[in-house]
Amino acid sequence: MIDKLKLVSHVDAINWNKIEDEKDVEVWNRLTNNFWLPEKIPLSNDVQSWNTLTPVEQQLTMRVFTGLTLLDTIQGTVGAVSLIPDAITPHEEAVYTNIAFMESVHAKSYSSIFSTLCSTKEIDEAFRWSTENVNLQKKASIVMDYYQGDDPLKRKVASTLLESFLFYSGFYLPMYWSSRAKLTNTADLIRLIIRDEAVHGYYIGYKYQKGLEAATQERRDEMKDYTFNLVYELYENEVQYTQDLYDEVGLTEDVKKFLHYNANKALMNLGYEAMFPKTVTDVNPAILSALSPNADENHDFFSGSGSSYVIGKAVNTEDADWDF
Amino acid sequence: MTHPAPGLAMDYHSLNAMLNLYGPNGEIQFDKDREAAREFFLQHVNQNTVFFHSLRERLDYLVEKEYYEQAVLDQYSFEFITSLNDLAYSKKFRFQTFLGAFKYYTSYTLKTFDGKRYLERFEDRVVMTALGLAQGDEKLAIALVEEIIAGRFQPATPTFLNSGKAQRGELVSCFLLRIEDNMESISRGINSSLQLSKRGGGVALLLSNIREAGAPIKQIENQSSGIIPVMKLLEDSFSYANQLGARQGAGAVYLHAHHPDIMRFLDTKRENADEKVRIKTLSLGVVVPDITFELAKKDEDMYLFSPYDVERVYGVPFADISVSEKYHEMVDDPRIKKSKMKARDFFQTLAEIQFESGYPYIMFEDTVNAANPIKGRINMSNLCSEILQVNTPTTYNEDLSYDSIGKDISCNLGSMNIALSMDSPDFGQTVETAIRGLNSVSEQSHISSVRSIEDGNDRSHAIGLGQMNLHGYLARERVYYGSEEAIDFTNIYFYTVLFHALRASNKLAVERGHAFAGFEDSTYASGAFFDKYTDQVWAPATARAAELFETSGVRVPTQADWAELKASVMEHGIYNQNLQAVPPTGSISYINNSTSSIHPIASKIEIRKEGKLGRVYYPAPFMTNDNLSFYQDAYEVGAEKIIDTYAAATQHVDQGLSLTLFFKDTATTRDINKAQIYAWRKGIKTIYYIRLRQLALEGTEVDGCVSCML
Repeated sequence: MIDKLKLVSHVDAINWNKIEDEKDVEVWNRLTNNFWLPEKIPLSNDVQSWNTLTPVEQQLTMRVFTGLTLLDTIQGTVGAVSLIPDAITPHEEAVYTNIAFMESVHAKSYSSIFSTLCSTKEIDEAFRWSTENVNLQKKASIVMDYYQGDDPLKRKVASTLLESFLFYSGFYLPMYWSSRAKLTNTADLIRLIIRDEAVHGYYIGYKYQKGLEAATQERRDEMKDYTFNLVYELYENEVQYTQDLYDEVGLTEDVKKFLHYNANKALMNLGYEAMFPKTVTDVNPAILSALSPNADENHDFFSGSGSSYVIGKAVNTEDADWDF
Repeated sequence: MTHPAPGLAMDYHSLNAMLNLYGPNGEIQFDKDREAAREFFLQHVNQNTVFFHSLRERLDYLVEKEYYEQAVLDQYSFEFITSLNDLAYSKKFRFQTFLGAFKYYTSYTLKTFDGKRYLERFEDRVVMTALGLAQGDEKLAIALVEEIIAGRFQPATPTFLNSGKAQRGELVSCFLLRIEDNMESISRGINSSLQLSKRGGGVALLLSNIREAGAPIKQIENQSSGIIPVMKLLEDSFSYANQLGARQGAGAVYLHAHHPDIMRFLDTKRENADEKVRIKTLSLGVVVPDITFELAKKDEDMYLFSPYDVERVYGVPFADISVSEKYHEMVDDPRIKKSKMKARDFFQTLAEIQFESGYPYIMFEDTVNAANPIKGRINMSNLCSEILQVNTPTTYNEDLSYDSIGKDISCNLGSMNIALSMDSPDFGQTVETAIRGLNSVSEQSHISSVRSIEDGNDRSHAIGLGQMNLHGYLARERVYYGSEEAIDFTNIYFYTVLFHALRASNKLAVERGHAFAGFEDSTYASGAFFDKYTDQVWAPATARAAELFETSGVRVPTQADWAELKASVMEHGIYNQNLQAVPPTGSISYINNSTSSIHPIASKIEIRKEGKLGRVYYPAPFMTNDNLSFYQDAYEVGAEKIIDTYAAATQHVDQGLSLTLFFKDTATTRDINKAQIYAWRKGIKTIYYIRLRQLALEGTEVDGCVSCML
């Protein structure tokens, strides 16, 4: 597939005590604190709820998740890895390896959802649909093309758009279900993915802006032009894809607003102004409120495990703490 | 149920979600939530409620179709039921929030068997609850309707959900079971968990007595697989048994800190735990004695003792021994196999796991037993860590029948709304009505499938009166949570509640002609319990707290009042072995428009997520855009003030109080450990969840989201 394997040509031992960009440490800490595995979510509690969905709704849900699986696979095996050779600092490289790994965790998570909720035959059919859907394949191939091109900034743009924009037509659905008390544990898992993707998109966008700082005005103009063209190209395709998925349940218009909102968000991550006016980004408040990557849901033992807990920082107590 | 078409411009869910998004002028959109509640009735409830021409027609239909229990209605004349119904409807009850209404109609109200239409409004549920609890006593039925419809008293979910229904679960909230170190007891524990989950309510089980992994079986070494496989069996049992599909069964297990399997127990909640040992839905609690703190203070090792050997040496199960008392004796006893670890490492691991999972709960064993007025030993708590009662073991014959039935624990709960109770025309009457309502649940409960529970309940009639809406009340009165005035108020409020609760239970003992079994061995009977109330003056220390009691007309009991009560209790006893327990109040605080328990709010706009509800937004009670500063959330308030508040209440509560600690994600395990040490020193009995809030990385948050802002 890839003509020439690109690798970093020279490696020095990474010294985390000498930091060139504080953002690398901040994001590394955030990402490692947020480490999780799909096994922690009691997905099987959603089986009853799954059975209350109509066959059309079930099919839609599975297609959405196969689409997301494809994107996460690309991002895990190609996307995040392709950014490594362009990294400016060694710590940035380390962050990308973490991103790549978590993308693979995400891709596997969808399989956990499938194997918990559906039969093998249904799973196979959904995967077949994903390989046959023209628009999904086109989306994948556009992004793949840029990853394999030789412009590092363009790779970052493609990657940010994937993280901050292309995933969201899929994320809409589990958020929608959870606002209607369906598949709430699945939604917990998806919110963990959103929590990660929000950081990924933000970070890659930030690194893009850093890269742009060193560029000439001409180059900057070129990149901006390129970015908006790419957003538009992807958007056109994304609308088609959204129609393929959501027409049957009548949610297409609502999802499109969500696309606009997230396209703007992706552009913001890249340091650009919004493309879509406020009048077409009025996302359903129930979806928008659910999107917040904050870990602040209140739940109890009768409900799911939530998306709130993080891996803590262990610090020894000292004698003074035990002074009683 | 017909829901509005997806994608409809402004359905009630969207309106409700707007609470979490700031309005055009940066204000919280409270009006959108009220609009959501209104739309919920217009679009959904009113269209899906079965209409009856008259009360008679309604009741006849519901009894005939086996929705209502005829026996409940037969205790009263139809005229009386009519007047009670009129009384309830005359109060013009309205839900204050969307979540209140939505929660009520989703989870409590009576529905047609196909689940499609509603058969009750809130008033109808209140009337049926009152009729069920009053057991034919018209005066009590009226009092209960008055208290519940006004929102001063709210029975716990199982009672409010099930009362008067023909197809129903139990009215009791909570069960606690011992497990002994033998296969009969373990399998009985699993069986009882299935039975109790089926009927409703959470179940907690004591694992401390079970021999550790590698302990001998029939004297052959390295045979036992320890407690983890038992936990797995229990977890699966709770997932299987749910209450008519209403909610998943839920369970907790408690283990002593000095049990050799303690680290394995904690590691089941690790993020990277192997699937074979990972525990997802079972809640964990650890029982920590004072000695562990002493050892940590000196930075020494803590020894873990084989329960198998301890039981052989002392002749009683491990959990019935005070480890603090016997610690050095057991360390020196060569017959007891032991292992060791650094005490501070234990506390640090505890905090690490709490970071990752929120668990385990902690029960401070020696604090709990020192404050226990009842003879016997408390060695575990329950699913919400507020029930603290004594128990005794059950033994079995070879054919699995009972050899001797011990005492296990059940508890039914209900909570007072502090704000509305302070507004009560007669505070003492409010408490008494609540106690009578709770007592009635105990008298009507007969869990014959678990004999140790049934016997325990018959003998002790233990109940748990809780409190909620402390933060709502304080904010309404423009007092900061955790301030000196607030803690002063909390102290005297709980002091006053205790007085009236004891008096009510004393009245019940007079009326029933006897006290709970074992009263004569309690410090109530000896009078020692009352010393701290007769020997010193309890009164508000700050002007503001004094003013709050004065203006509300709630009289603070005097030493003379206590002396009188003491005499009557020593003569007649009290009817209920236990009286108070402060639960975390999730669901009922939403329908009652309260803040949970006596916690600070988790957020100005709380995000509530449950399987049956989805994701819903809840504004703190009495909050407006003008008094926001009084609604500091729990993370801002900080652990210390929460502990101080709970400590003030704890000294007047015979059982426990669910105390959650809240930390920002910048906290470390050391911060959690320090809070635990502080809590233990302040006489806190139990710690419930540890909650962490991680805010979105700057630059990744959703714009204008209320719950994202500090």
